[in-house]
Amino acid sequence: MLETIGRVARGSLESFGAAGNLTLEATRSLRDVSTWWPNLSQQARKLGVDSLPIGILIALFTGVVLALLASYSFTNAVPRYLVGTLVQKTVMMELAPVLTGLALAGRVGANIAAELGTMRVTEQVDALETLAYNPTAYLVTPRILAGIIMFPVVVGVAMFVGLGAGWAASLLLLDLSSAEFLKGARWFFDAFDVRYGLVKSASFGFAVTVLGCVNGLRARGGAQGVGAAATSAVVQSAVMILVLDAFWAMVWLLGRAK
Amino acid sequence: MKHRSNDWLVGAVIVATMIGIVAATLFLQEADLGEKRQGITARFRDVGNMQVGNAVVIRGVRAGRVKAIELADQGWVVAEMDLDEGIALPKDPVVLIQASTLFGEWQALITARDAAPSIRDVATQLADNAGAPPNALPGAVLPDIAQLTTYAGGIANNVASVAERVRTAFNDSAALELRASIRNFSVLSNDLARAVRVQSRNLDSIAIHVRAGAADLASTTEALRRTAGRADSATAMGEIGRIVAETERASANLRQATDRLNALSASLMSTEQSLKSVITKADGVLGKVDRGEGSLGLLVNDPSLYRNSDSLLVDLRVLIQDFKKDPKRYFALRVF
Repeated sequence: MLETIGRVARGSLESFGAAGNLTLEATRSLRDVSTWWPNLSQQARKLGVDSLPIGILIALFTGVVLALLASYSFTNAVPRYLVGTLVQKTVMMELAPVLTGLALAGRVGANIAAELGTMRVTEQVDALETLAYNPTAYLVTPRILAGIIMFPVVVGVAMFVGLGAGWAASLLLLDLSSAEFLKGARWFFDAFDVRYGLVKSASFGFAVTVLGCVNGLRARGGAQGVGAAATSAVVQSAVMILVLDAFWAMVWLLGRAK
Repeated sequence: MKHRSNDWLVGAVIVATMIGIVAATLFLQEADLGEKRQGITARFRDVGNMQVGNAVVIRGVRAGRVKAIELADQGWVVAEMDLDEGIALPKDPVVLIQASTLFGEWQALITARDAAPSIRDVATQLADNAGAPPNALPGAVLPDIAQLTTYAGGIANNVASVAERVRTAFNDSAALELRASIRNFSVLSNDLARAVRVQSRNLDSIAIHVRAGAADLASTTEALRRTAGRADSATAMGEIGRIVAETERASANLRQATDRLNALSASLMSTEQSLKSVITKADGVLGKVDRGEGSLGLLVNDPSLYRNSDSLLVDLRVLIQDFKKDPKRYFALRVF
């Protein structure tokens, strides 16, 4: 049992150490613009634009459910226009970044890990090195940059859609007027809410892409190794998203609450 | 070609998203891009919890927002407010800062001076503003919910204090003693009435005897006067006549005393009737209390009623103290 615990701990530390090393390498590779720049838009499309439907779908249902949940919870003493407040705050600060981040952790993290894992086990990565390409600049840097840029874009759209869905649900299902919903939404709104959600989602994008790349490049064996790498990437990304969520809450929200 | 397509699509999505986010932010912040506004300034001693961005309201309608709040010389606070274009201020305007909701939201209300609430503190603040510069409206801050709960807390403390004293002074043993005292008083009142009746009868008897004695004395005096008259003629000094005259005065005094005794007796009879009536009524009331009828009877005979009332007051005091200590705990809204 002790051996198992030790192995798991060592594996985790190895993953984080490898992630740190890869981040450092990717930062160094930023100078090699000619290598990563051509791939950036392709990765941005694959990781971001193609992920918009899932982000929109999640936000759509989240907004509707939040409005109904708020209406169900706010009875008698609590004014109904606070439905707008709850939807605005929750969607912008928490649910849009985290739920979208978790969905993208599955979609993007697994995709990156599987893709790079396959390249690793089929020795395509070694071939790149043989051709004097820097594999980090060619494969990792554009993915990380695309994650950092496009996660906030997807989350921004999700915020927009989630708020709109909550608004529509309030009008159509809760018999709340637009004026009431907007009063609640505007009441406690602060531009910080948007900033907080977007910065948080950028950190999620960084974590998901880095962990996807690390697990993919460390894949060994055949298809089994690639599958294991994809699984590890998704699990670690999901955990990391929750850890980062708590981190940002403590760093930003706790400071502002005081 | 594919690279260019990707570039275009990614760029379009990023730009569209940025525009959407900025537009949504401005919309939610109710930003007024390019809208003309008129600025006004107000002077306060204290602005309470008002913050930049809070609403400025005229006759219940939102007419602008607080633009800036700054400390000024001589202990003043100056607030700058932006009003929508074309808004006309009331005659002799003053600015009152008040809580607009129970959730910590404040607003600046612009109203006519004579329409300001007749609160002494507000009047003092407005009067204090008499020397304000001509471009600064006089301002005052109205008491907020925390202050009201402070007052309510004080009242609750007093009520709880009274309840505590009643509980201390009026416990179960005190109730039992009070019941015993009521019974003893009832017995005592009966004895007293009986004694008054007996004494009244005795006084009647004394008065009758005194009246009879006086009559006898009068007739004796008359007889004596006649005898003395006859004897007086026999004596030259007239001493007997003087004796008889003094005896006559004594008899008159005795008659007056008898009349007073009769009056006293009559008064005693009246007093007895009144006392009897009072005692009957008191006996009835105390009997009701003893039987547990009415609020006092229930309070005396049913200690649980008192305990429940007292417990309610104590709970109320605790609730108000807690509410006073942290009103936002009951109303503040936090999401994650």
